[in-house]
Amino acid sequence: MSARIMIIDDEKIVGDMARISLEQEGYEVETFLNAAPALDRLREQGFDIVVTDLKMKGIDGLEVLRTVKSLYPGVKVIMITAFANLDVAIEALRGDVFDFFPKPVKIKELKESIKKALQN
Amino acid sequence: MSALRKFRRKVFSGPVDPRMVFSRFKEVLESNTRALEIITDMGEKLGGEYIFDIVYVKKSYDELYAAIDEAIKKFNQLTHGRYDVEGVFRGIDGIIRKSIYQEDYLPAKTVLFFDEIGWEAARDAGAKNCRLAELKNSPGLNVPNGFAATSRAYDDYIRHNGIEKKIRQLAASDDRERLSAEIRDAILNGGFPGPLSSDFDRAVSRLKELAGENGFVAVRSSAEEEDGDISFAGQFATVLNVPLEAEKMKAAYKKVIASLFSDPAVSYQLQFGYTPGRMRMPVGFVLMVDAAASGVLYTADPASGEEKIVVNSSWGLGSPVVEGRVGPDVFVLNKGPVSLLESRPGGKEFMLVPVKEGGVEEAPTPAELKGQLSLNVSGLLELAGISLAIEGIYRRPQDIEWALGKDGKFHVLQSRPLRISIEKTRPSEAGIENPVLMKDRGFVVQQGVAAGRVFLLKNENELDRVPKGAILVAKHDSPAFVRVMTGISAIITETGAPASHMASLCREFRLPTVVNAGDATKKLEHGREVTLAAADGGYAIYDGIARELLAEARRGSPGVEGLYEFRKKRYIMRFISMLNLVNPLTDEFTPEKCRTMHDILRFMHEKSVQELIESSRRAGGGFALKKLEMAVPAGIQVVDIGGGLSPETGETAHLDDIESVPFRAILEGMLYPGAWQEAAVGLHARDFLSSMMRMEDITSGGAAYAEKNIAVISREYVNLSLRFGYHFNLVDSFCTERAASNHIYFRFVGGATDISKRSRRIRLIEAVLREYGFVSSAKGDLIVARISNIAKEEALRVLDRAGRLIAFTRQLDAVLERDDQVEEFKRRFLENNFRIG
Repeated sequence: MSARIMIIDDEKIVGDMARISLEQEGYEVETFLNAAPALDRLREQGFDIVVTDLKMKGIDGLEVLRTVKSLYPGVKVIMITAFANLDVAIEALRGDVFDFFPKPVKIKELKESIKKALQN
Repeated sequence: MSALRKFRRKVFSGPVDPRMVFSRFKEVLESNTRALEIITDMGEKLGGEYIFDIVYVKKSYDELYAAIDEAIKKFNQLTHGRYDVEGVFRGIDGIIRKSIYQEDYLPAKTVLFFDEIGWEAARDAGAKNCRLAELKNSPGLNVPNGFAATSRAYDDYIRHNGIEKKIRQLAASDDRERLSAEIRDAILNGGFPGPLSSDFDRAVSRLKELAGENGFVAVRSSAEEEDGDISFAGQFATVLNVPLEAEKMKAAYKKVIASLFSDPAVSYQLQFGYTPGRMRMPVGFVLMVDAAASGVLYTADPASGEEKIVVNSSWGLGSPVVEGRVGPDVFVLNKGPVSLLESRPGGKEFMLVPVKEGGVEEAPTPAELKGQLSLNVSGLLELAGISLAIEGIYRRPQDIEWALGKDGKFHVLQSRPLRISIEKTRPSEAGIENPVLMKDRGFVVQQGVAAGRVFLLKNENELDRVPKGAILVAKHDSPAFVRVMTGISAIITETGAPASHMASLCREFRLPTVVNAGDATKKLEHGREVTLAAADGGYAIYDGIARELLAEARRGSPGVEGLYEFRKKRYIMRFISMLNLVNPLTDEFTPEKCRTMHDILRFMHEKSVQELIESSRRAGGGFALKKLEMAVPAGIQVVDIGGGLSPETGETAHLDDIESVPFRAILEGMLYPGAWQEAAVGLHARDFLSSMMRMEDITSGGAAYAEKNIAVISREYVNLSLRFGYHFNLVDSFCTERAASNHIYFRFVGGATDISKRSRRIRLIEAVLREYGFVSSAKGDLIVARISNIAKEEALRVLDRAGRLIAFTRQLDAVLERDDQVEEFKRRFLENNFRIG
């Protein structure tokens, strides 16, 4: 069975580009523009990896990280953000994030990171 | 002299401080460089290999805007505001901002003929029209003429009839079917606004002139996105065989634009994430081909992606084949070398034929035609050749609609990317048996796989000779290659950087490209067939055509490039990184011709160079001139504007004191053993007389020309103006570590001998300079040649040769009695044989 990946980003183009690229690798991908429905979905369907934007209105990426890690410690979280802010990155890493990418994200690197996360 | 003229003289031709000009020149270059770096970054990030968001696009564009704005300010200071770059800049900025901030954009014209449609018109004329125009404008293809009613025509029509409100309501409507029907009704019963109507009438008259009175047109939709990666094929109406009469064409136009609101078209738009009603529909009016047979052709097997040509063909007009309503004859051909593999006769149950008064009808296929294949072998081979030429243009398998006219000629009616429905795999090197000719040295600018014959380009002037499908191999990268980028398969250059003008264009055209690839011109000989496989981080060039690689690379989905939003964002790059201004030696090199940000940067760079040359040429008065002692009597005096001479230089300068890198290279060339022509060359009486007559001409430049041989130098700059006897020779060069900033400009005019000898000398100089990659323009006894975007090391080599050429040609005209000597002396020069006797 192929791995399931969830992508959360409040900009549609980001989710769409990530989805298309990852589907090419044979993953099952679902995208969400808001964190709330994404977390609801996570309760009904297991995912292997969550790729989330950091800065979002409402529930932000760090909250997604905390929720995911408390509910499903095995799920790997990859953080992406437009703001390449080192402090946030450090906090994110401390919070058990698997990987961290500033936007624009090189698709090849994201794919490699996901591969590694799945092997882990 | 009037006060105004005095003033002008002071501003434009009086002595200026070359140090100030030089420092402003460097400021322009600096901002230009910054802007080009941003363009490169945007090209890369928006190129399909990155996931980006709108924040990135806005931020980068703001930075780019600021960099160009800054460059323009410096440029205006340098050129005293002589060029209106500002206005052009604002115009292009407006288009880009509208695109980024999703504001409405409409073109100025309602009608565009195919010969007026360029790459930038994709939104204005629609993707289908744009592709057809592109094919029409490619030499060697038969494409029917026509025109496009643009998105503005659509908008004008809709607004004139007050339909826009209903259209806006469509997305949120809970009775979409009723509303769509009302919109269709309003369109079909609407009237044309006056100006649109007269634009239309004029277009019809012009098409009549082109086609003759009895022409007919096909009226076809060409929505913005149709024929792009999301195919709207078959969603919108086409009206065939409409008489070339304004009223009938207008009626057909209404039918076609109304089809944007058919129920299936509306639900299709919803399904693919479009807001119905947001799309505008340009329409094409294309002359009908009186077809004996027609059909479709795929340049790859659409099912497997295999490298084969598949042709479906039937008698009469092509739409029953396209729509799958008749059983066509099916032919399968091998791609290289082209040969017929398989023919399967089809039922060809009926044929679609034009009706004399207009329109079309279905007629049963006559028995004798039914049993006969609709294409013969020679026809198939010809058609296959045409299809491969088209595939060469787009570098992707194509889905081509074609017609065989009753005149026996094949016509191309449409071409779009072929959708192949299998999974993409990366080209892998495993299993490729072709020997590797080169590998991994240099930078991959654009990934991809390409195969073709090597065209070894010595000089940009040969670009017109580069055949379609060739792999262009050159010493230097050059933005001038843009002229052939739609036709060739790949570019490989020995020098160059990923941030060059050319590199950004290659990314724009998705043209597989490797730069800085070492000794490519030695390893890849002219005419050899090779395959380039360039991937992220490395490449390999194989001997011969590696079909497995090509087939693999061509399979697969367009990936993120298929996304509407992605392409919409990418679209701005057309107004940023494309380059239209290529040859600064032509009259077209004006601010008005700038259509992109890249054009503006290029324009400013070239004009800044001109400014610098002019100011240096006028230098002298008021500056400390130092005599340069050297082993040949060149009589040069030096003006140092910064770091050109060693601080230890005494009363007179010597070769060792010269710290100007480009100047030193020229001097070393002039001093090359044997190059300087010492022996007095006898002038014929005729030559002498000629020189007397020409005195006036040469000196009429008066104060504008330096009276002495002067070199204005800095550490990275030289402007050397020489006056030997009756000719002037000027070399100007800026030479730094950054290739994109470098240039060499060479100018030679005059001479004492008669015009035929003088022009032979010019032809010799031109022939030699072209060997070194100069682009030139020569007329009579004047030559202007230039080379830019050249790596330092190469620039120094070229400057050294220019120095030898100065020394060698000084008196050479006197011995150039015959035309054939031009070639002879060129050969000698290149062999370092400087004997002129």
